[in-house]
Amino acid sequence: MIKDDNDKAPLFGSWRGWYIFVIGFLVLLIILFYLFTKRFA
Amino acid sequence: MSQLDWIVLGGTLLAIISYGLYKSRTSHNLDGYFLSNRSMPWGLVLLSIMGTQASAITFLSAPGQAYTDGMRFVQYYFGIPLAMVVICIFFVPIFRKLKVYTAYEYLENRFDNKTRTLTSFLFLLQRGLSTGISVFAPSIILSSLFGWNIYYTNLLMGGLLIIYTMSGGAKAVAYTQQLQLIIIFTGMFLAGYMVVRMLPDHVGFTDALEISGKMGRLNVITTGFENGKFNWSDQYNLLSGIVGGFFLALSYFGADQSQVGRYLTAKSLKESRMGLLMNGLVKVPMQFAILLIGALVFTFYQFNKAPLFFNEVQLEKLEKTRYRDSLSAVSTLYDVIAEQKVATVKAYAAETGTTAKLSKPELLNQLRSLQKQSDSLRGKVKSWLNKKEIGGDGNDTNFIFLRFVVDNLPAGLVGLLIAIIFLASWGSIAAAINSLASCTMVDFHKRFTKQKESGEDEYRLSKKYTLGWGIFCIIVAMFTYNIGNSLIEAVNVLGSLFYGVILGVFLVAFFLKKIRSGNVVFWAAVLAELLVLTVFILTRFGVFKMGFLWLNPIGALGVLFFSVLLHGLRGSRQSAVDSQQ
Repeated sequence: MIKDDNDKAPLFGSWRGWYIFVIGFLVLLIILFYLFTKRFA
Repeated sequence: MSQLDWIVLGGTLLAIISYGLYKSRTSHNLDGYFLSNRSMPWGLVLLSIMGTQASAITFLSAPGQAYTDGMRFVQYYFGIPLAMVVICIFFVPIFRKLKVYTAYEYLENRFDNKTRTLTSFLFLLQRGLSTGISVFAPSIILSSLFGWNIYYTNLLMGGLLIIYTMSGGAKAVAYTQQLQLIIIFTGMFLAGYMVVRMLPDHVGFTDALEISGKMGRLNVITTGFENGKFNWSDQYNLLSGIVGGFFLALSYFGADQSQVGRYLTAKSLKESRMGLLMNGLVKVPMQFAILLIGALVFTFYQFNKAPLFFNEVQLEKLEKTRYRDSLSAVSTLYDVIAEQKVATVKAYAAETGTTAKLSKPELLNQLRSLQKQSDSLRGKVKSWLNKKEIGGDGNDTNFIFLRFVVDNLPAGLVGLLIAIIFLASWGSIAAAINSLASCTMVDFHKRFTKQKESGEDEYRLSKKYTLGWGIFCIIVAMFTYNIGNSLIEAVNVLGSLFYGVILGVFLVAFFLKKIRSGNVVFWAAVLAELLVLTVFILTRFGVFKMGFLWLNPIGALGVLFFSVLLHGLRGSRQSAVDSQQ
């Protein structure tokens, strides 16, 4: 039942695009958390 | 608990077991039992990965941690997205190409059987013990809170899930985790909503954040620098979260079979990658939301008197000692301060708008001073409990959220939240037991048994190993007593002792292609493990201070360093022998 690996990345067209997106999202979260901390400190 | 709570709790647990059994049908061989025939879509892989990582203590400890120390604990998860990317690039393609059952199988391919056996053994040791703690951790909390017998609670916590885990293997684990997470998120959302709803009428969500933030509980980002110097003993800050958290996550998701076994069930490389990357996207916001509930509970207890100590059993224990009178005096003073605190926070909240509030800084300063005083009284109680003669547990972090739930939430919701504790436990324990059985079967039994067995025989034996590990974890839970420190930390500290080294072996395999000798990597791993244990013991004896997260990079880099060193020494000895000839 092992299917052939179809490795085409959805949405971004390449896995590199996904990796950049995930890391970019983390950076964005850290910036937002920093602003959140500053705002309520 | 009310009758309604019991009905909700019993009904939810019964539904999960029935659903697990319903989804148990799989082919009678190792592929079906341990990898669900590699047929899972990424959504299910994602929920399975999340359900495996998020144990009961994630939902118990995290809000309590935010209540006592603020939300900075979220930084511990910053390494996860980075680790997901590295695992998608280097780990998953190789595991899938070689069609392995366990991560350690690859190491025999790359080095030798000895290295595979060592890493698999370290995994079994670490995961077996920490799963036992994962059974005990929520059990002791429920047992203290409701007066349940700890042994029966351990049996319920670790025993019922064995029914569907043994019967359906990885498939039953993944499908029940899906349902468990839906119930958990619903319950946690309702709990968060109720906290805000129970605040005074004129205090909204933003006001609650305002108060929590001003009292230092919304410290999501911290640098770890104190007086211009980096504090290495500080557990949770941006640097330790990204570096230490990255190594820990890389080891956990890349080299721990309980996680590797989840994404190996995906039907293709694409589905494995999507599951992991989605986990990298959602894990940090999810943890932020859980911690935010703790910060809101803190605000709730500004408007309402908080218990002096959240674990009542420990308080009763203290009352039977020579500290009885001191405790009574502290308790009276604590009540007086609590009343003043409620009056002050009400006056502060009555000021409408941020500008108005800032124009009355004296109220805020007074509130902070009162909080400091009540913290100091709580500190006294904790120090008494920690004294050897008392033999108590001075840490009530894990009790804060549940105490709040039991004392304040309506009937029905309490039962649901207790059910969540069981479900979260079952999700991670079931995956752990499944992975322990797969390593025992594939890395040891199949490797060392000369007898030829059919797929059906292997399937039956795997079920027995699953049952055996389930019983082992319950036995560990029965013997675990009074770990003391936050339980989520106890599991992570135990993991950090071995994870770094296991990861280091994989890093050598992936990145140091020149090193092919199994002997070199094996001895490098042994030396690095000794190094990690030495550093850990030295920090325990206070020779120097260092957060436990740093043990992961030390272990991983230690293996890389010793491998290069031993490889170099071996090379020069070889050339000396060659030149003599």
